[in-house]
Amino acid sequence: MPEALPSPAPRPGSAIDLQRLLIPDPDRTVLLRVGGDSMVGAGIHHGDLVVVERHKVARDGQLVVARLADGFTLKRLVLCGERLLLVAAHPAYPTLALGEGELWGVVTHAISSFSP
Amino acid sequence: MSTALALIDGNNFYASCEAVLDPAVVGRPLVVLSNNDGCIVSRSAEARALGIPMGAPVFQLRSELERHGVIVRSSNYGLYADMSQRLMATLETWVEELEIYSIDEAFGLLHRPAGSGDLTAWGEALRHQIRHQLGLPVAVGIAPTKVLAKVANRIAKRDPRWRERGVFDFAAMADPDPWLAATAIEDVWGIGRQLSRWCRLRGIADARALRDMPVGELRRRAGVVGLRLQQELQGRRCLPLAAVPPAKRETCVSRSFSTPISTAAALKEAVATYLCRAAEKLRRQGQRAGSLTVFVRSSPFDGTAFYANAATTTLPLPSNDTAVLLAATLPLAERLFRPHKPLRKAGVILQDLSPITLLQHHLLVPQTPEQQRRRAALMEAVDGLNRRYGSGTVQWAACGLAPVWRMRRGHLSRAATTRLSDVPVAWA
Repeated sequence: MPEALPSPAPRPGSAIDLQRLLIPDPDRTVLLRVGGDSMVGAGIHHGDLVVVERHKVARDGQLVVARLADGFTLKRLVLCGERLLLVAAHPAYPTLALGEGELWGVVTHAISSFSP
Repeated sequence: MSTALALIDGNNFYASCEAVLDPAVVGRPLVVLSNNDGCIVSRSAEARALGIPMGAPVFQLRSELERHGVIVRSSNYGLYADMSQRLMATLETWVEELEIYSIDEAFGLLHRPAGSGDLTAWGEALRHQIRHQLGLPVAVGIAPTKVLAKVANRIAKRDPRWRERGVFDFAAMADPDPWLAATAIEDVWGIGRQLSRWCRLRGIADARALRDMPVGELRRRAGVVGLRLQQELQGRRCLPLAAVPPAKRETCVSRSFSTPISTAAALKEAVATYLCRAAEKLRRQGQRAGSLTVFVRSSPFDGTAFYANAATTTLPLPSNDTAVLLAATLPLAERLFRPHKPLRKAGVILQDLSPITLLQHHLLVPQTPEQQRRRAALMEAVDGLNRRYGSGTVQWAACGLAPVWRMRRGHLSRAATTRLSDVPVAWA
């Protein structure tokens, strides 16, 4: 009696869909380009693309994008009592207070490309 | 269970879109210009507060805009279309049924909650979500009918007592009459200039007076259109949601030129470009055109005698093949051109549209079925390339390579959500 063959690879036609993996809610997601190296300690480099979800509520310790008067900034959110701080992941950069700024979205992924 | 209609629309939609991905313009006066940087078509709240008028030609306001430091932007249709699509997708999840009425406006059908039936809190939650997750301000008007929802939306947007909230539900009002009385007859949705003038002459100056006027008189003057308006104002629904847009009867593509066109060759290039766009629309809609019109006009402002003209031709057979349509269009453009009449605008209208499923066999069909199939495959390939790699990737030579007439958009913001190289920077 022939032995049962091992089941073949997963059915074709169901390739991994990066779009759905990285951007499950496209209507409320925005891509931004990283400028600067203040977040290298968190693995985010100059030139990376980051996926920012605007509907997520930012929690303590998460990577966030804040809208300040002159532009967007990417930092780690730290709750310090009543104050919201934006902390860099690089010793040369100061910590900012969110102040008048707006917590704009939560960074869920960073995409680094190694060949253009 | 009773239902309600909500009209949700963007406040200063184009100006608001400009601020979503550009922190530098948030809270600053900003205006968006029409096609060709002609007139002001959208103003931020700050620009409105400065008293900058809507619809004004921008060249008349240059110095005023500069004095106040107003930011000026060309219409960035790609950005607005993307934001609109996000807005509509979000609204879909908040209502039972959605009718998209324009780029920034939609009617939604929803159930009234038991008890008071008041949906104000629902509207506020919706508004809050769209404000914080999409970055767009909207106003919400809620009522039993579309015409009343329009009135409610206007109150939500303009009335100083409701503007902050941005939501107005007639169900929350013990007496709707004062609100209707405060709505000028001209502001009733769909009334038209003639009917509103007739109402004024008869002393009917507001929505309440129209609602309460004698039926017979209104029917004699305005027929079923007037009666429908009146019944909608009385809270009886006559205009249902049109969830599926009706098949289009004609398709038009037209633009103003950045510099006047004074050669037949340039006019033909421009008209060919509009025709290609119109034909692509036609194929997307699954239709063929039976006839087409080309129109041209000079500028009414430049001192020379005004010239406007149009020419129409009927095709031997309905078609959506760009080559066939071009062959019919170019002679019309040639015929309309006049030396010494610099043209400011031209357009192509495809008419007499029919679904592609209708026509197949005709004694005079010049092509075999195999030829027809290959033409259709070619059109599909061209449309596919232009969709994927950007409009204009593949084009007909008749459109020209370096047109001088292209639309003027000197203050265009970036395609921040639709082009990778335009993605805004987050400073780290």
